[in-house]
Amino acid sequence: MSDAHKKFVSLMNKVLDEEATKEEQRLLDAHIADCSSCRVHFHELRQSADLLNRLVHPQAPLNFTKNVLDKLPADNRHAVRNWVSRHPLYAAMAICALPMSLMMIAARRQTVYRDKNGNGQFILLKMPENRS
Amino acid sequence: MEQKEKRLIRRVKKGDHQAFAELVDRYKNSVFAICLRMVGNRQEAEDLSQETFIRAYKHIDQFDNDRNFSTWLFRIATNLSIDSLRRKKPSVSLDAELPGAEGLALKELLSGGETMPDEQIVRAEMEKIIQHEISLLPEKYRSAVILKYIEDLSLKEISEIMGIPVGTVKTRIHRGREMLRKHMAAFRGEK
Ligand SMILES: [Zn+2]
Repeated sequence: MSDAHKKFVSLMNKVLDEEATKEEQRLLDAHIADCSSCRVHFHELRQSADLLNRLVHPQAPLNFTKNVLDKLPADNRHAVRNWVSRHPLYAAMAICALPMSLMMIAARRQTVYRDKNGNGQFILLKMPENRS
Repeated sequence: MEQKEKRLIRRVKKGDHQAFAELVDRYKNSVFAICLRMVGNRQEAEDLSQETFIRAYKHIDQFDNDRNFSTWLFRIATNLSIDSLRRKKPSVSLDAELPGAEGLALKELLSGGETMPDEQIVRAEMEKIIQHEISLLPEKYRSAVILKYIEDLSLKEISEIMGIPVGTVKTRIHRGREMLRKHMAAFRGEK
């Protein structure tokens, strides 16, 4: 390709990028009218751009958002706050259950200790399970 | 719109998953399109798109809310896609040929023939062929071409996403377009 043609190829690109001035557009049009190789070149470049423009914009797969959310690291601070506001009753129960279970553990320890001292053997008394 | 997005991002920075879900819904199609056109495979594109959003979430503290969120997000998507292409490069044959029949409708279209092939077939076939042609472009031309033609972004936005000057973006788009032209001309020549 001669330097003259190269100049016109860069003009073609300017036109395709919609950055050519009216004067540049006119210059290219005039050249293309006379030069068949540049005419073909421009036509083919424009066709490549058209084909790219025709390519469909795909949709993300189904359940995409949910799949992403499932993989996010949990923010504990936020998770607790959210959970409490959605389940105030459970939250209250959980708060009550904490001292309760501490008391039960303490009670169980005492029982085991007493048994050990009393009979010289371990007898684990059946304690009510703490469900929280 | 802009303000709403900034509010959403402030919520995400506090760890709000629901706010992040809204951002995912807003950008999932664009991110998926970029990844799909970059790697040319739906399953891989889905994995890369998910990874893009997960990274965005994990690094949201590094995002400056005065900037454009989509630019930042598309940059992650483009970089992850390029990384993935580089990892598997040796196994991909760049000389992969399309089966002969594939090109028929495209040839017909390019040559402006009178027998217009069935619209549906042309669509499906063109999709395949253009995707194939895109996948033959070197990755730096490929990403510029995809951001311009698939996402319809301005040269300035593309330069911000790719972290290169606008002039370089132009050169890459021009070279990409020129390579596509040559490949298409080969199709025409076979007729
Ligand atoms: Zn010429």
